Amino acid sequence: MAKDKAKIVVKDLNLWYGDKHALHNLNIEIQKNKITALIGPSGCGKSTFLRCLNRMNDLISSVRVEGEVVIDGKNIYDKDVDEVSVRKRIGMVFQQPNPFPKSIYENVAYAPLKHGSVKKGSDCDDLVEQSLKSAGIWNEVKDILKEPGTGLSGGQQQRLCIARTIAVKPDVILMDEPTSALDPISTEKIEALMLELKKDYTIVIVTHNMQQAARIADMTAFFHLGDLIEYDETEKIFINPTHKKTEDYITGRFG
Amino acid sequence: MATFESKHRYAHLQEDVIKYLLILAATISILTTFGILFSIVFEAIEFFQLRSFVYFFTGTEWTPGVENSKFGALPIFAGTFMITAIAMAVALPIGLGSAIYMSEYASKNQRTILKPLLEILAGIPTVVYGFFAAITVAPFIVKISAAVGLEASFNSALASGVVMGIMIIPYISSLSDDVITAVPDSLRKGSLALGMTKSETIRDIVIPSALPGIISATLLGISKALGETMIVVMAAGLRPNLSWNLLEDMTTVTVRIVDALTGDQAFNSPATLSAFALGLALFFVTLVLNVVSVRMIKKFKEKYKMSSL
Amino acid sequence: MSKIKKNKKNVFYDPSLKRRHFKSKLFKYFTLSSLIVSLAFLAIFFIDMVVKGSSAVQQTYVQVEVSYNEQSAENYRDAVDKKYLELLSRAVLREIPMQIKKNPSLLGTTKVAWMLADDQVDMYMKEYYYKISNKDLATLTELIENGRVEKKFNTIFFTHGDSKTPEYSGILSAMIGTILTLAVAMFVAFPIGVATAVYLEEFSEQNAWSEFLEVNINNLAAIPSILFGLLGLAIFINLFGFPRSSALVGGLTLALMTLPIIVVSSRAALRSVPATIRQAGYGLGLTKVQVVKDHVLPLAFPGIMTGSIIGLAHAMGETAPLIIVGMIAFIPDSPTSVMEAATVMPAQIFTWAGMPERAYIERTAAGILVLLTVLISLNAMAVYLRKKFEVKW
Ligand SMILES: Nc1ncnc2c1ncn2[C@@H]1O[C@H](COP(=O)(O)OP(=O)(O)OP(=O)(O)O)[C@@H](O)[C@H]1O
Ligand SMILES: [Mg+2]
Repeated sequence: MAKDKAKIVVKDLNLWYGDKHALHNLNIEIQKNKITALIGPSGCGKSTFLRCLNRMNDLISSVRVEGEVVIDGKNIYDKDVDEVSVRKRIGMVFQQPNPFPKSIYENVAYAPLKHGSVKKGSDCDDLVEQSLKSAGIWNEVKDILKEPGTGLSGGQQQRLCIARTIAVKPDVILMDEPTSALDPISTEKIEALMLELKKDYTIVIVTHNMQQAARIADMTAFFHLGDLIEYDETEKIFINPTHKKTEDYITGRFG
Repeated sequence: MATFESKHRYAHLQEDVIKYLLILAATISILTTFGILFSIVFEAIEFFQLRSFVYFFTGTEWTPGVENSKFGALPIFAGTFMITAIAMAVALPIGLGSAIYMSEYASKNQRTILKPLLEILAGIPTVVYGFFAAITVAPFIVKISAAVGLEASFNSALASGVVMGIMIIPYISSLSDDVITAVPDSLRKGSLALGMTKSETIRDIVIPSALPGIISATLLGISKALGETMIVVMAAGLRPNLSWNLLEDMTTVTVRIVDALTGDQAFNSPATLSAFALGLALFFVTLVLNVVSVRMIKKFKEKYKMSSL
Repeated sequence: MSKIKKNKKNVFYDPSLKRRHFKSKLFKYFTLSSLIVSLAFLAIFFIDMVVKGSSAVQQTYVQVEVSYNEQSAENYRDAVDKKYLELLSRAVLREIPMQIKKNPSLLGTTKVAWMLADDQVDMYMKEYYYKISNKDLATLTELIENGRVEKKFNTIFFTHGDSKTPEYSGILSAMIGTILTLAVAMFVAFPIGVATAVYLEEFSEQNAWSEFLEVNINNLAAIPSILFGLLGLAIFINLFGFPRSSALVGGLTLALMTLPIIVVSSRAALRSVPATIRQAGYGLGLTKVQVVKDHVLPLAFPGIMTGSIIGLAHAMGETAPLIIVGMIAFIPDSPTSVMEAATVMPAQIFTWAGMPERAYIERTAAGILVLLTVLISLNAMAVYLRKKFEVKW
């Protein structure tokens, strides 16, 4: 793996929920403009790890983090790093689509306007259009931009949330099981979208769906009980895993 | 067999009797509402047979005691409105601010202590607030005003309005806290994940989501302020006063109702009956406020599929 | 060296965030300060009442010689030395002729007694504003120097009813009035409220009628209390002819106000009884009434009681509707039945608050403290009941 392509370098990352040691000494390099899938049995710490990458864990008062998450050469857990600016650059899409109870337009425009990256008016209109296009939902909503985002179908809502994230122009998009609440057709659309998006963004996705990981991910990391068991190219993981546990898991011989 | 039958029938009869007794009890609540409505409407009609309906709503002179008494309630409505506005100006920011702190910043433990503590304010009898307004707050306002060269009356709209506002704080904070807490966490996370600060998330996402509930709480507060009696009776004054000066004494609908019914006028004199005309106006306004308030909260519940609130 | 520095360059540095974080902090402090302001109001309020009311715990007495003779049997002014007359409570002096009438053996005796002082003397002793003539003040100073003026625990406040002289007025008759009024209110509201709740929760189907009932009860709870006074006046007094100012009329009026509180809380209590309990009852072949009466109601009872106590506390603090039905009459002697004219604690507070004499202020505040103590105890009891019987199904 070429070092210069690493977007995120995680070094000796440990995390505790109170006394519970949830992540053990993780070391991983996430590569630029690739899709990295995180897989593993329920409760193994995938979501916890993902939240470390944009400091969403800061919201949980019991959490304690040790180690480094270096993004573009800067450890985001350094004292002089503001978690708000981290989240501006590392976007996140959640399992349940969570559009704001505002219009579709406002859902997308809200954050860029607040960040001051665009001004109200045609610049903003352009950004909204472009983001919705990138999220592959423009054609479906271009006539109903004033309607509430909560009125869309689940799959549309999720793509709206992706558009909302893109509009902030992050470098990295984190996705925690973004399709697990959606029907197969919506899932397909979002997978296609991710493949499109990886040209411009680094994507990290948590998924329970092996086929999904196999279909879209370039790299795959297998977690088990807070440990990173194996991290390699997706093909390698699925065809010829090094560890027995990985093999057991992807062949479904796991509890 | 026969005894079984009759026993059965007896049990059946008993069931029916009890059921009808229960229905009868339930009917009483309805009778009360209609009792209030009719008792007020009939006397109000009697009043409007004696005095002009139009003048009641548009006239500016209220002189019940004298010969050729006049009943223009405009100054009374204005006073009611002024004091209610002052009360809401106090209660809304403080109540909403407290609710936001309790639901967004305080820990769970703090919240379980803070909330009942605030609700004590709602449990204090209004006559006690009235005393507080008249004996402590009003003289304080007079002193402060004098210090800055203004003249305040000992019965002032400001004193009664402020104290009424304190009384209403818990009505606003309690319901607002409930609805803010009910806003799903996923919305907060979604906003924070976009790089929003906590206060931006609260102001732009949480509060607008909780807005129907907050409006409902506000309407409830307004309705409480309009119908509040003791504070204004003890601290606002009796003089119908059409003025913008908050430091002057003003009167309200409820004060005039009490005044009309505790005087020694004959019951069917216009002076006494005017209480019912005022009461009717109060009844309708508060009823409308309550109905709208209930609608709003229902809307909020449906929006977030909540069963309890 | 320079390379490391470049690597360490903070790519997350964002100067525009400084303003936003500052605003965020301001917002937090705004919400915190509104909470503090609310709590400060609460604190100021209680401190104010305690400060104003605490002096009522004691009352001033003056030691004088009382002579029971022919003259004082006719005119109380002859019972004590003329120079003390203005320093003593007129209300107590006035009772001397009556005492003699009741107990003629007193005639011809004299007695050195601690007599209740006039309210102005009391105010003087408590260092409030007072109005005493110079001559009387000289007499008083002399008495104080001789140790013949003392502040003693104020039993009068708890053992007497209202009086036109502040030093002789107490809260007792208002307390009795409150008890009578609330007894009437609960006697009416409790059974009707619980029955309504049982009907709505257990018997009625979801239809227009039950919806109408529900909306009605909701609205009833939001009607300003003073309008219940109008109802009481128009219906109970004018239509039914019940005696004005009586605990009966006051109680009935309060009953209608308390009804929605009891209905709502009883419904919540009934709803919290799990369906399995009912099914088990039906499984045993019991009728609906039997199931509700023997199985559901007992389980819901603590919840119903809690709600009723809260309703009771609510009714206890209510003043406006009772004023409308005349319960602000001057009541020196405690009422003995619900048909007699009575007053209640909050109404007594209202009356005293409107009195011109300074001495009534401390009595008002003391009355408030008594009322608040009772209310807080009631609410604490409700909370205790709820905690004690809180069952997690
Ligand atoms: N807020 C929290 N407080 C305490 N423990 C937590 C918290 N969130 C997660 N955990 C614990 O940390 C461990 C990892 O949880 P995490 O949610 O990261 O797992 P996951 O791999 O995402 O599981 P799933 O596939 O079910 O989403 C689990 O044991 C979980 O119980
Ligand atoms: Mg997860």
